[in-house]
Amino acid sequence: MIRLENVTRGAIHGLSLEITAGQVCRLTVPSRDIKDELFALLAGHAPPEQGQARLFDIDVYALAEPQRIGLYRRVGVVPEAGGLISNLKAWENILLPAWYHRKLDAAAAEPRVLALLREADPDIGDLRTLMGKLPDRLTALERRLVALVRALLPEPELLVYDFLTSGLDAGAADRLLRLTQRLHGEKTGRVSVYLCPDDAASETIRADVARRVD
Amino acid sequence: MTGFLSPERVGRSLFNVAWYAQGFFVLLRHALGNLAMLALGPTRQVFLKQIYFTGVEALGAVSFIAVLSGIVITTQITSLVGVNATLTAKIMLWTVVRELGPLLTAIIIIARSSSAAASELAAMKVHGELNALRQMGIDPLDYLIVPRIAGITLSVMAVTFYFQMTAIVFGIGFTSLTHGIPFAGTLASVVSLLSLHEVLASFFKTLSFGLVISITSCYYGLRAPLSATAIPQAATAAVMRNLLTIFFLDGLITYAVFL
Repeated sequence: MIRLENVTRGAIHGLSLEITAGQVCRLTVPSRDIKDELFALLAGHAPPEQGQARLFDIDVYALAEPQRIGLYRRVGVVPEAGGLISNLKAWENILLPAWYHRKLDAAAAEPRVLALLREADPDIGDLRTLMGKLPDRLTALERRLVALVRALLPEPELLVYDFLTSGLDAGAADRLLRLTQRLHGEKTGRVSVYLCPDDAASETIRADVARRVD
Repeated sequence: MTGFLSPERVGRSLFNVAWYAQGFFVLLRHALGNLAMLALGPTRQVFLKQIYFTGVEALGAVSFIAVLSGIVITTQITSLVGVNATLTAKIMLWTVVRELGPLLTAIIIIARSSSAAASELAAMKVHGELNALRQMGIDPLDYLIVPRIAGITLSVMAVTFYFQMTAIVFGIGFTSLTHGIPFAGTLASVVSLLSLHEVLASFFKTLSFGLVISITSCYYGLRAPLSATAIPQAATAAVMRNLLTIFFLDGLITYAVFL
């Protein structure tokens, strides 16, 4: 599913890694610089200076941009800051990829969105108000929840979590981790990749492949 | 003077114009080839929002300027040639339909929407939102640019038509009140003088203006470097390039079509 062959980019030197279908992978990084490079590499907008990055057995950066973008329909990415579109409300952000790729419309998505948000945060409060907010009015946890649900709705084969729990209180972080680990098994062959800071909380993520990248 | 016309400066300007022209035609080709993207729900939403911001929200300012322009033009005509319904109709047609309608509408839309579109796209780029779209499998050109080009172009055409009608009706209405020229008769003269050639020329001019304004705004938004200072710079560059191109194009089309 993911194969990095001797990849060098910025602070990453000669990284080789293979993750097969169905696996959970925890990549611990000692610094944000390395995390940013690795995330951009996996998210498809930072080609390696050396080596090769393959997703779904395809050399990602050998593809022309439209084809590379097309490949990412199969990937769900949850950036640390949310990566939300600033002129869309939370609900529009959540719906965007699934609606755009004709996988779900608003009516079909609503029950699943509500269930996921309630599971991630039982104290989330008035969802109607939350869904009507623009991203700059959301808290860090709300932004991450919106990004998480947005990534999950199109049922991706690969999920990349960028510092999913960093900056959150222990209870919220624990709920998010439990939710993502449960969702990993919802789709056969799904791969989940967690980019994590080098701390004790990250060690609690149960992973088939655990690597420190430095 | 030497500094102003130095080979380096002239060369840089020519290079910038060539680079802009190349970017312009790349975006034009992409937009024309991907108009079908407007059938997608999210893209259609961006398209409709663009029409609302550029077309509907501009109507207040456009109405005000159109009414005053119509009144000023008919007043000037009457003061020059006296009360002459046919001549008033002819001059109204020449000035409002051929020139002032398209040009003033374009200037209003450049002031309102060109800077907004360029700075919004530049801000989205600086804040990593274009990359966020790519990693959702959404091509920013399809989702952000195609509906903006279609929405702004369509708005420019519709608002120009509205400007022309408003200026003519209020101009003739004002003169009929103050100088007693027949309102319905003068209006009928304008309509009877309106040839297919005149309509097509106006249509072509507004279409060209719409495409230039929309593509130039998107071009400067997309090419902004990744820095916060790039956002206002993109807006300024889009407005200035649009004004220069619109006046150049206006002269060119007028010369080609009416001379």
